[in-house]
Amino acid sequence: MSDIVALFALFVLITIAVGGAVGDENRLKSLSLAWVIFLLITFPTLSTEWARMTSELVDDEGDSHYGLPDIWEGKQVVCFHFPEQNAPDGYNGARYHIDSDGTQFMSDSDWNHTGACIGGFSDFENGLALMDEAVLTSGGDFAYNSTQYTFGLQINSIADIDPCDVSECSDTSGAYWLLSHNGQMAMVGITDLALESDSVITWSIETW
Amino acid sequence: MVHRDLVSKHAETIKSILNLTWREAHMFDAHAVTIGPHGMLLINAVMLGLIGWALWKAERRLESGSDWILLLMLCAFAVSGRVLLDPIPNVQPVTIIVLLAGIHYGAPRAIALATAVTLCSNLILGHGLWSLYQAVGWSAVGVAGALLSSRLLVDGRLNIERLAMVAAASAFAFDWIVSISALHSMGSELLLPYMVAGLPFDLLHAAGNVAFVAWLANPLSEVMTKHLDTSSPMAVNDSVSSTL
Repeated sequence: MSDIVALFALFVLITIAVGGAVGDENRLKSLSLAWVIFLLITFPTLSTEWARMTSELVDDEGDSHYGLPDIWEGKQVVCFHFPEQNAPDGYNGARYHIDSDGTQFMSDSDWNHTGACIGGFSDFENGLALMDEAVLTSGGDFAYNSTQYTFGLQINSIADIDPCDVSECSDTSGAYWLLSHNGQMAMVGITDLALESDSVITWSIETW
Repeated sequence: MVHRDLVSKHAETIKSILNLTWREAHMFDAHAVTIGPHGMLLINAVMLGLIGWALWKAERRLESGSDWILLLMLCAFAVSGRVLLDPIPNVQPVTIIVLLAGIHYGAPRAIALATAVTLCSNLILGHGLWSLYQAVGWSAVGVAGALLSSRLLVDGRLNIERLAMVAAASAFAFDWIVSISALHSMGSELLLPYMVAGLPFDLLHAAGNVAFVAWLANPLSEVMTKHLDTSSPMAVNDSVSSTL
């Protein structure tokens, strides 16, 4: 959004500068040429930012990408969902969306989870590799703490949120980070999770 | 087949010049020069300039009133412009040429021109269902030109500011008409988001149209006026109803 505002401001500045520098006779010629050149140079940024802004317009209920920006259609996504009162700083009140280049471009306050989704990735074949890339992309905001067992990696906390801080853990009850793959509980751990080209993996806190 | 003959001839020439064996000469493939997208665009711009210059020269030898020949020349220029400027998204001279044809020659000829340009250029760029929508879109621009001719052409002179506004509006109208073709592959609820998502492309089309108006409208209008067949009921000052 801020890029669009900056581009618009630059457009207005160029219009004023070129329009003021040229006489009436050639004003339209110079301005139109300046506009075309400006749009051509900024077009990759303009179209990407616009796609990000308009991606909220399309809902596609029923698939694992439902509720996610449509520019991530066909891409891989990692979501971290937190209970509303326990979301990390800067990620409460909505679900935030961070593109693979680290740009946070959209928040969805109507979504029934708080936290963030980091997406737009491709070509990852393993769940852990994708998750690590997502954590890096978030600038470490969703860094996790884990324990390596012989059967695989167990995630203890994400963004310093331990499930037992959220829900009481005792001999008869507990809480854990649940891994879902394309909307279904994953049948294997993150280290063994084989991805599809448009996989959506989600971490959320589950109680027992 | 023709291409292979040319390559063999080329290899023969290189072989004699560089004193190479036949095999070495064939390995020296002068057609394998890599040209980047900017280089190709430059080549295309030079070719379009050459075509425009040649057509302008040819037009000067035409007798006044040769409106159909001029329409053919405009068609050639519009097709060349659309094909050669294809690397630049949505910037091409077709919309303006059709709009000016509507203003000077009336709706029927503008529709004929729009459809012919669409078909000929799409034979190179890709012909399909979308061609019909493009032809309808550009025809609509031509009809708009005919309908607004009395306001855009005042005392035989184009009102460039008004024309620029109509040209910019035509870009959006044309793009939205063509967008309707997406309904063949997606639900109607997605049409509005689809059109909104395409706004940067519409903007580029509009800016391109304004640039073509600023740089080309007056010379093109002069040429079109010169070749008006005043004996025809399609003359500029005829009412639009007579042209439709």
